[in-house]
Amino acid sequence: MCDWCTKHGAGKRWYMNARNYSNELADELRAKEYLSEQWTNFEQVYIRKIMGISSVDLGYKLKLPIIGRVLRWQAERMIHSESKNRNPRRADGHFGQVIPLEEAKIILGNLAAEPIIENYCMCRWMQRGIKERCCINFGVLSTVIEKLPRFIPENNTARISREEAMERIEEHNRRGYVASVWFQPVPYINAICSCENPECGGLRLRQDFGLHTVYKSEYVVRVDADNCQACGMCVHKCQFGAIRLVPSLGRAVVDPRRCWGCGVCRHSCAHDALNLVPREEVPVARGRF
Amino acid sequence: MLGLPEKIRIEVDYEKCGERGKVDPRECCRCLRVCDPAVLIMHETLSVEQDPIDPQYWRITPVWNSLCTKCMKCVEVCPEGAIRVF
Repeated sequence: MCDWCTKHGAGKRWYMNARNYSNELADELRAKEYLSEQWTNFEQVYIRKIMGISSVDLGYKLKLPIIGRVLRWQAERMIHSESKNRNPRRADGHFGQVIPLEEAKIILGNLAAEPIIENYCMCRWMQRGIKERCCINFGVLSTVIEKLPRFIPENNTARISREEAMERIEEHNRRGYVASVWFQPVPYINAICSCENPECGGLRLRQDFGLHTVYKSEYVVRVDADNCQACGMCVHKCQFGAIRLVPSLGRAVVDPRRCWGCGVCRHSCAHDALNLVPREEVPVARGRF
Repeated sequence: MLGLPEKIRIEVDYEKCGERGKVDPRECCRCLRVCDPAVLIMHETLSVEQDPIDPQYWRITPVWNSLCTKCMKCVEVCPEGAIRVF
């Protein structure tokens, strides 16, 4: 379990704690005000200057001597902020974790607060100009997003039932999208995304710049050498380049240091050769979220 | 010489693309889609007064410059010749 489970999991994983989904918690955190402000200005998050610095050419800024280290420290502080005066415009306290399909379905089937909506993904919109309806949001956040026309399909049928939500997340996952669950703001949970790397803002900041906007899942994938037929289908599915086909060996090999444990590769395997195992059981991946 | 990292400069001419140009980036998006490492970001124009609920003026800004491979595909694909990489 990660440090956020210890803090907000009540003995379980943080996203399995029902309290983190409750309307009472949303009220307590004044989540409606926070989320309205955050989502109205979502696409500005990298552009707007915060204390004189924006995320424009963040890669360069992070590599600068001294300034880069201060910037990294400040960014991590913002991402994981639990302070009362969090700034929604810079998405303070908004971060998540990758989860396998099974857990995403448990959340959508049992824990997610009504109403549930499926709106256009804003990351793909910002990065690629593509309006893809695959972001499942719930609770207070749904009522906020419904008022913003750019995220809502034209016939305004954003709302979906619990069963539909579970079907949709399975569809996205099979398509190769990585399921992730989000604090927004911590510890209130209100979104399950279906991400691509690097189009997802969170995955980009983590993969390319090492900022902890998204944690890896509680699992990693293991290849069953006996079952693997070396077809290589899983290699194409992996968003993180963690799987390699070794033709001479006649099987696929997973690098547990690169594996996010999203489980998406499993959908491509016709031979039942890929299984998720708990992260703790794999020495090189243990504790590395 | 001072140990500064290499800086990749990408410029978008907002007289050609954006709220003052002929092209609305929301309709075009060619540069966003052609870029393999997804360096460019589309966002509502900040300096212009607009409806916060449904902003009308949008711009392209290069944000992840350090990941640019200088393949120049964005320069080639832009119908207005608004992008410069150097």
